[in-house]
Order: sequence, then C-alpha cells, then structure tokens
Amino acid sequence: MSIEPMKIFFKEIKEPTETTMIGNYAVAGGVTQTDPDVICAFPITPQTQSVEGLSDVVHQGRLKAAFVNVESELAAISYSTAACAAGARTFTATASQGYLLMTEALPMAVGWRVPLTMMISARAFNSPNLSIWNSWEFTMTNSELGWNCIVSENVQETYDAAILSVMISEDSLFPTMFVHDGFIISHSVQNLSLIPDEVVRNMTPKKKRHTINPKHPGTWGGIVTPSFFMEGRMNLEEAKKPVLGIMEDVYKRFEKATGRQYRSIRTFNLDNPSKTAFITMGSMCGNIISYMTKHKDVGLIKIKTYRPFPYEDLQKIIQDHNIEKLIILEKSDALNGLLPPFSMTIASALYPLGTLFRSFIVGLGGRDVTRDEFDIAKKKMETVKDMKGPLYSYLGVRETKDKIHGVSK
Amino acid sequence: MLTQEYVNDVLKNQCVNLRFHARGGQGGVTASNLCVEAFKGRGICQPKFGAERAGSPTESYVRLSFDYDLIRSNEQVYGPHFVSVLDPSLLTEVDVTAGMPQGGWLIINTVMNQLEIQDIVKRKDLNIATIDATNIAMEILGRNITNTIILGALIRVSHLFSLEDLSDAIMRRFKGEIAAKNIAAIKQAIEETCLYEVNIELDFSKDTKVPWQQVEPGLPGYKELDKAGVWYCDENVIKVGSDQVNTGSWGEWEMVWDKETCTDCAQCWFICPDFAILREKGDDGLYHMAGIDVFHCKSCQNCLEICPVNAISKRSKQGPASCAVPEETGGN
Repeated sequence: MSIEPMKIFFKEIKEPTETTMIGNYAVAGGVTQTDPDVICAFPITPQTQSVEGLSDVVHQGRLKAAFVNVESELAAISYSTAACAAGARTFTATASQGYLLMTEALPMAVGWRVPLTMMISARAFNSPNLSIWNSWEFTMTNSELGWNCIVSENVQETYDAAILSVMISEDSLFPTMFVHDGFIISHSVQNLSLIPDEVVRNMTPKKKRHTINPKHPGTWGGIVTPSFFMEGRMNLEEAKKPVLGIMEDVYKRFEKATGRQYRSIRTFNLDNPSKTAFITMGSMCGNIISYMTKHKDVGLIKIKTYRPFPYEDLQKIIQDHNIEKLIILEKSDALNGLLPPFSMTIASALYPLGTLFRSFIVGLGGRDVTRDEFDIAKKKMETVKDMKGPLYSYLGVRETKDKIHGVSK
Repeated sequence: MLTQEYVNDVLKNQCVNLRFHARGGQGGVTASNLCVEAFKGRGICQPKFGAERAGSPTESYVRLSFDYDLIRSNEQVYGPHFVSVLDPSLLTEVDVTAGMPQGGWLIINTVMNQLEIQDIVKRKDLNIATIDATNIAMEILGRNITNTIILGALIRVSHLFSLEDLSDAIMRRFKGEIAAKNIAAIKQAIEETCLYEVNIELDFSKDTKVPWQQVEPGLPGYKELDKAGVWYCDENVIKVGSDQVNTGSWGEWEMVWDKETCTDCAQCWFICPDFAILREKGDDGLYHMAGIDVFHCKSCQNCLEICPVNAISKRSKQGPASCAVPEETGGN
C-alpha cells in the first residue's frame, strides 16, 4: 500500500502532535497508546479500520499485543471477556448485527467485573432492509446490561474516548463501550491532537486487580440457586452507584493531563430567550453547534455519558437555567408506540421536574441531519404547551413522492 | 481570479466547501483527505458514505475554515464553491455542478475547452479550470491516478493552501519515492492548468442548499411502500435491474476487438465476468464473435490476456492534451 494510515503510531509519540485522521484509525491509535495485551474483534462495516489499524501496528512490531482472529462476534466477545478476566488489558470492537451476535456474552463481562473496552461504530440494525449506515443501535436493547457507555461527537473525542474508556473501565471494574456515529465519524477525516505516549502511560497504569489465577482458584459465573442470585444483582447495583463519580474524576484527570475538557453533560447557550434547548448526543451535537452560530435563540445539552445516565446532573442543569422546553433528537425509534430509548431515558429523568419535551426521530440509516430538521423541530416546539398527544414524531422522511412528512408546503 | 488575501479573509468567518467527483480507485477520497491535511486551519472531509467499487462514480466533500464552530457540523456539503472532477467521463454521468453557486470553480481533468464543457454541464455562470491530469499521471506516475494532480489545479485557482503545505502533507502520507513523484506531478499541473473565467463574483456567504434536499423528494414515500422490507420487482415502484447500470463507464480503457485476427475460439466469451462479449448466430447456424458491449465492459482486461491471437487490444479513453482557445467567449 502506498499510504500508511497508522505510520504516526509506529514510533513513540514524544510531544503533542497535530494531525488529521479518520475516526476509526484515530481509535486504533488511541488504543495502541494504552498498550493493550489482547486485541480480538471480528470486522464489520463501519468498524473495520479500527481493528485493521491495530493489526498494522502489531505487525509492524510497535505494539506487543496478541492479535487474535476469530470466526464471529460471539467468539470475539467471549474470547475478550475471558482474556480480560485472565488479567489482560483487552480491546474489542463491533457494530450493528455484530453487536446483536455479541449479546449473549455481554452481561458476563459486567457480572465478573472485568474492565474490558469496546468500540462501537453506531450502525442501523438490518430492519426493514440491510443498512450499513448510522443509527443508534447501541441504545436499542443492550442499554441496561450494565456496561458503561460514552458517546463521542467527533474524531478528537473518539480518539480521547479510547483512552478514557480504559481509565474508566479499570477504575470502576465495569466494562466500557465507547460509541461514535458510523461513517459520519468513523470515516470522516478531521483534525486531531495526539497525546504523547508518556502522558497516556501515566494516565493508564496497569494496576493489580482480581484475575483468574490458579493460585487462587474459584468459579466465575457458576450456577447459583435463588438463595444467592438477587444478592448478586443488588451487589452489582451498589457497585455501579459510584461509577458516575469515577467517570467525572477520570474526565478531570484527563483534562489536567491534556487540557481537553470533558464532562458527563456539556451545555451550550442555555440562557437563551426562548428557554428551549436541544438535547442529544454524538455527531449531531456538532451540527447543532454550527447551527447555533446563526440561531442564538436555542441552546444545546450534549450528553457525553450515556450509561450510567447522569440524571441528577441533568435535573440540576435544567433547574439552574430555568429550561422550560426540551427538544430531544435521537437516531433510533421504538415502533410500539413508546418513546424511543434515548428519549425514554431523558423522560424518566425529567419526570420529577415536569419539563415540557417532544422527541424527534431523525437521521435513521445514515440520512443527513441538517438545519431543515433543526428549524422545523424548533418551530414545532414553539406551539407545545402541555404533555398531551403523541410525544414523538419522525422528521426528514418522505410521506409520498412529493410530500415530506410533517412539513407543510 | 481569487487572491490569497481575499480567500484568507473569507476563511475567517465563512466555510469554504469543496466536492470531489472521481471513480473508485482514482483516489478522490485521498485527494480530499490531503486538502484537510494541507490546510492550515480546521477542516473536515467526508466521503459520500457507501459501498465503493473500482470504477464506480464516487463523491467526497471537504469543508475548510478558520472558525472551528463552523467546521464542527457533520452535515454533508450541499453548496460546493470548488468542484474537482477527476475523470472527464463523469461529466455526462453525474450532475457535477449540483448546488454550485454562480461564480464557483469547476476544475476538470479533461482536454475539452470551455464551450464544450459549458455545453455538457449546461451552466455558463461557472469559472472553469482544466488540466490534462490523465496524461501527466501516465507520464510521471505510470498509472492513471489523478487525485494529487487535480490538487495542483485546485491550488492554482483557490489559494486554500500552498504547494509547500500540500507537499508536506503528501510526504507525511505517502512513501518516499511515491511522494516525490506526486509532488513533481503537482508542480507540472500548476503550470499546465488552463483557466476560463467568467466575470461573476463568487459569494461565499450564499447558502445554495435546497430545503429538504437530503430527503430526496421524488423517490417513493413511506405510504407508497407496500411491506417495508419486501421489495418486489415492480418497475412502477423502484427501478430495478443492474443491467440498466452503465458499468461500461467505470472502465479505464476502451477495449478494441479486431475481427480479422479473431479465430472465434470464444475463450474471451467464457472468461468475461460481465457478459460483455457479444456473439451472434450466423448463417451457418453457429455462434460467432460480434463485438464488445461497451455499455457494460469495465475493461478488466481478462479477454485481452486470454486471447491466444491478440485480437483484443486496449486504448486510452482520453486523447492528447490541448489548451484550445474557444472560438467565441463564454460567460453569463
């Protein structure tokens, strides 16, 4: 190949370096810097280059990791979980149908408290048709398995997330998935600033933790009778409670080392005259920030930490800024008349406050989300006075050949 | 002509949009990546997301600015100020000027002149730059890869980045010898670019996006689909049939069949993956070679290699360069 996308990671990065890269290679670079022991993933569009990039670095010799080829995603997650339980720092990655195939093994990593990290290039599930493009499948069934989940807006964030996830996983002893929007971030070239290897090493030291060990035998995930199961679940629940605090602490340490600020929730222009704000996550936040350079009458609440959900922070933000109306934008739907998963999360956090909201389903299967959607969502929200009627609607979809749903000519 | 100062001024508080049209394998995406890499401010480059195959038409988008908030959007580009076309055969196949504001720059790898191009794209309000990138590529790189060469023409008209910036970016990206060859090709391209200007000022602040164009009105809506995941072969609903796709335009070469030399052995007919070797039943009741189906031939050259008597040859689709001055001046 005439182009070597991972060339910059072939030798020690000694000082902060400005470069440009696609999201997937940036993740591969970030993972390289965290020095994983095992990399095990099965390729699926749009995740592929992240693993491809890592295979380059392992082949070249810079990264001394076991690069394990497997026959499916189920094998990948099983192998990764076991490797991680055996004490290896482990990275895996997937998307869409691969994520579904992993589902069987996903809860195990939580139950055994193994600090696995996984990248997800968000892509639609294949229904009704096969689509390799972006939707938020990760919100759809597996949100409540107990994985930590952070979502990235751009290439810089997804590179940082590769490092943040290792810190979060190993501090909380829960597996962490970090998500970027498939194609929109995974395949788009953007500027990013690389952290020196030494700084990453200091942030991600390999600490002693519980591992499978012949000197200390035991069963991992063996059968229990009803006498024990519920206590086990409640033990997990208690262990999960401090995780948000751990994540905030990780964000602060990261900021101190690199100067880049992350928080579970970031806000933009909330003290606006209409007391209205968009609330969303991922790449769409960038679109809205650009949109807001011309439209000062609306704010944005950007969710970075999706699981565990920072609902107390969200409530505080809404109360502190007197937000009256929220426009929820999300790239997944629910089909059975209930709010889609991201909106459901927000709605349950808003319940004690009674804040008015409507949810708009946009950008499914890679459809571009533009100023048109933001304009009309904002306009529709102006007439909302109560919580009666349907709480969600689709935006940017053709009703017939010459009519766009919900848009009057 | 745009000047360096003017473009720098625009970039302070505006976004400059670029679009690249290429064929899979010509490196259109690499060209747009290099723009972001060479540019001194912030940039974002997105390929038109999808399944790329060698020879099929591809698009990629670039947005550049010094204002980070403007670049932060992940929207695709709808109103490109500069459009680069890496392969002249795309002019008739793709609407390369879609969304371009008047006074925008259309940069084409071609040997055609202003009038011929205006005639094809049906617009007279665009500045045009042409470069015979194919010949430069064959001469210097030895392969028809025109991506870096078209960037030479882009530098000449846009001043978005300098030759030095681009050379640095190429050296970071490419291996040594290949990098040097590409830089030499770019230098030649900057010199050989032909410019055909119209006297219309390019307004960078004008937004040419048609409301809801991303929803693609005109295609069937949700009410017009029967069962969402089940698509019957009904031409009234969705136009079907891959035989309707002009895959012939994906090929780099025009395959030529010589009837006199041909012995009718039919080996080419067996090996052709696209059924593009035509045979006809003769008076003797047997099938004989009749020609090549140029609408579907992707010039994979399997037939050329298997032919035992060299009855099949290839020729380049693009003729020799000429910076012909058009007979009457265009404009408006």
